[in-house]
Amino acid sequence: MRKRISALGLIGVAALVLTGCAPAAQETTEETGAQSSATAEAVDPVTLTMWSWRTEDVEKYNTIFDVYEAANPGVTVEFEAFLNTEYNQLLATGLEGSDGPDLAMVRAYGGVQALIEAGQLLAIDGAVDTSDVEQSLLAAATGRSDGNLYGVPFATQTLQVFYNKGIFDELGVTEPSTWDEFVALNEAIAAGGYTPMALGAKDSWMLPIFHEIVGAARYGGPEFRDGLLAGTTDFTDPDYVASIQIVNDMTEYMVDDVIGVAYADSQIQFTAGTAAQFPGGSFELGNFTTQAPDMELGVYLVPTPPNSASDKPLAAGWADGSFAVNTKSENQDAALKLMNWLASPEFGQLFVDEVKQFSAIKGLTYSDPVMKEMNELFASGPTAYINLVDMRYGDPSGSTLIGEGIQSMFLGDLNADGVADKLQEGVATWFTPGA
Amino acid sequence: MKTKRKLHGQMPVLIGTAFVLPALVLFSVFILYPLTTALSYSFFGWKGTLRGEFIGLENYVTVFTKAPFDEALPNAFSHNLLLFAGAMIFQNSIGLFLAVVLHKIGRMKRLFQTMFTLPYLVSPLVVGYLWSLMLSPLFGPVNATLKAIGLDDLAHPWLGDPNTAIWAIVFITAWQWIGFPMLLYGAALGGIPDEVTEAAEIDGADGVKKFRLITLPLLLPALGTVSILTFIGAMEAFPIPYAVGGSTGSPAGATDVMALLFYRTAFESGDVGSIGTSSALAMLLFLFIFGVAVALRTSLAKAEKKVYG
Repeated sequence: MRKRISALGLIGVAALVLTGCAPAAQETTEETGAQSSATAEAVDPVTLTMWSWRTEDVEKYNTIFDVYEAANPGVTVEFEAFLNTEYNQLLATGLEGSDGPDLAMVRAYGGVQALIEAGQLLAIDGAVDTSDVEQSLLAAATGRSDGNLYGVPFATQTLQVFYNKGIFDELGVTEPSTWDEFVALNEAIAAGGYTPMALGAKDSWMLPIFHEIVGAARYGGPEFRDGLLAGTTDFTDPDYVASIQIVNDMTEYMVDDVIGVAYADSQIQFTAGTAAQFPGGSFELGNFTTQAPDMELGVYLVPTPPNSASDKPLAAGWADGSFAVNTKSENQDAALKLMNWLASPEFGQLFVDEVKQFSAIKGLTYSDPVMKEMNELFASGPTAYINLVDMRYGDPSGSTLIGEGIQSMFLGDLNADGVADKLQEGVATWFTPGA
Repeated sequence: MKTKRKLHGQMPVLIGTAFVLPALVLFSVFILYPLTTALSYSFFGWKGTLRGEFIGLENYVTVFTKAPFDEALPNAFSHNLLLFAGAMIFQNSIGLFLAVVLHKIGRMKRLFQTMFTLPYLVSPLVVGYLWSLMLSPLFGPVNATLKAIGLDDLAHPWLGDPNTAIWAIVFITAWQWIGFPMLLYGAALGGIPDEVTEAAEIDGADGVKKFRLITLPLLLPALGTVSILTFIGAMEAFPIPYAVGGSTGSPAGATDVMALLFYRTAFESGDVGSIGTSSALAMLLFLFIFGVAVALRTSLAKAEKKVYG
């Protein structure tokens, strides 16, 4: 009998482990908002705490905030970073309780809505001057249901084609400026014994990124997005379907069985010099420069494919996250003053120089030549990475749907029409145009 | 001197409770409390971490009827069942075979036991990444070896093809866990008294008959334990599928399992009500595992009673 009980206990414990993982939350209800605005009056000295997931950048942010502290005597900014993968839970719990930060880095777009809906972030419309911020990026910190602004975007990413200048020189080829040149370039690279493009198709999140890089101009970028959001068009639009078809056509320039290649493998293909080009995001820069310090990097935008809806090449971009203020902060005035500085070109330039990422602030100078060129390319034809920017407010998300759809297309189970249908059907379960 | 006598009698209730209390407190705080809160969460609507109104079974209806769950749930669940079937057929039968062989040979038993159990000591997440490198079509030694010995036709993007990806996970799991059934069966085999087997030999039983009529029935308790633990392991599979196919179960959901679906819903969803739906998923999975495990245990107990009288 004892044996039996212990066996049952073991079963119970093992099975419970999973249930124990359910997200923790305190059971406070609607008591936020009201009491918070009355309290704070910026008194000297004040210590502002800011939470972040950028554990690798703590020193850099401290340097940046030293500048602010010098100009604002009495103010101390304490920058605390937590493990990236644990951050969302930590922040949600911290904002819920009384020991949360005054300010916090929050995720972008769909990733911040839960905090906004729970009333944990302060609306900053009118209180923070965001005129120096790239306006298209403000959507990253805008409440889906009320349209208010809840944060200042800090970092951005853009999608372009990286290439190995050494291989280009060796083969005597150059950056393409027309679609025909682009096709000829890939043929020439293949003939030269290199893999034209490295792509990690086994990791489905990489595929919508590749789709934007080769297909954004074909479906029309910003104009298509306006129509999509207004409800005058949807993902089954022939131009959008054609852009998905281009993704399929490009497999010719990748290794056989690209569907089995992992993202990390594709990075190695490029840094080891077996692949000449890597279509990817600006977030690759750090890895490429550490893994292949001797490689000379080039970047370009894929020229417009035939029958393109856009008349110029496009670079998709998005905001990576924003700074926001806790509704429960007791130092709201001081926090808002800091937010104004975080939205200024002075902070933007410090961010670019120290953190070495793309800032959301307009008109900055980049000292790194590759970053400078990427920034210029983005400015020449900016568009939104729609499936991340607009299609992550519900489940299933647009990027998941198109990622899995393209995998099915590579496997021969779906055609471009089928991928578009699946995407449209999936997002239609929660997305209402014009809402 | 008086206390000495007391020890022979029954332990007083108060002292007994005091001994159980620490375990009871830990169990309540770390298991009972999260379980009941997850249960309660699943009956509410959510806006981020802000609990909304009581909505009864709506979250449960959602995970069965609404996209993406209406497709993802049966897909993921079928993969869990497949992992269980695969583990029973390959991992446990080969484990039993190895245990019997090692028991018979006796020599170098320890060495082989250690070797087969070694992968079991490595984190499953590491094992998963290791094998996804081994099976990579670009740099993986598996395909390279196949090509080197002229078996080019067999070289395959194992993790990229939905037909082979889930079986690759069955294989990787078996590779890691094979030592576990082997050890349990080995211990059970060692516990079978020689008299019984000798008596069977005297009665004229040959090797096969001996195994079928003597060894197997006496292994029943071990078989039961291994089956139930395999079932729980397969239903909760997470680290290896995550390392091999990522949180979306690449390619195209071919390696999706329940725990990945739960993980995506709870931590990667843009839906503000995801605490409710993910709690409902977790409860369903718990109830299924608990129910089946109890049922298995009960029927095994009956079968054991038949054998042992």
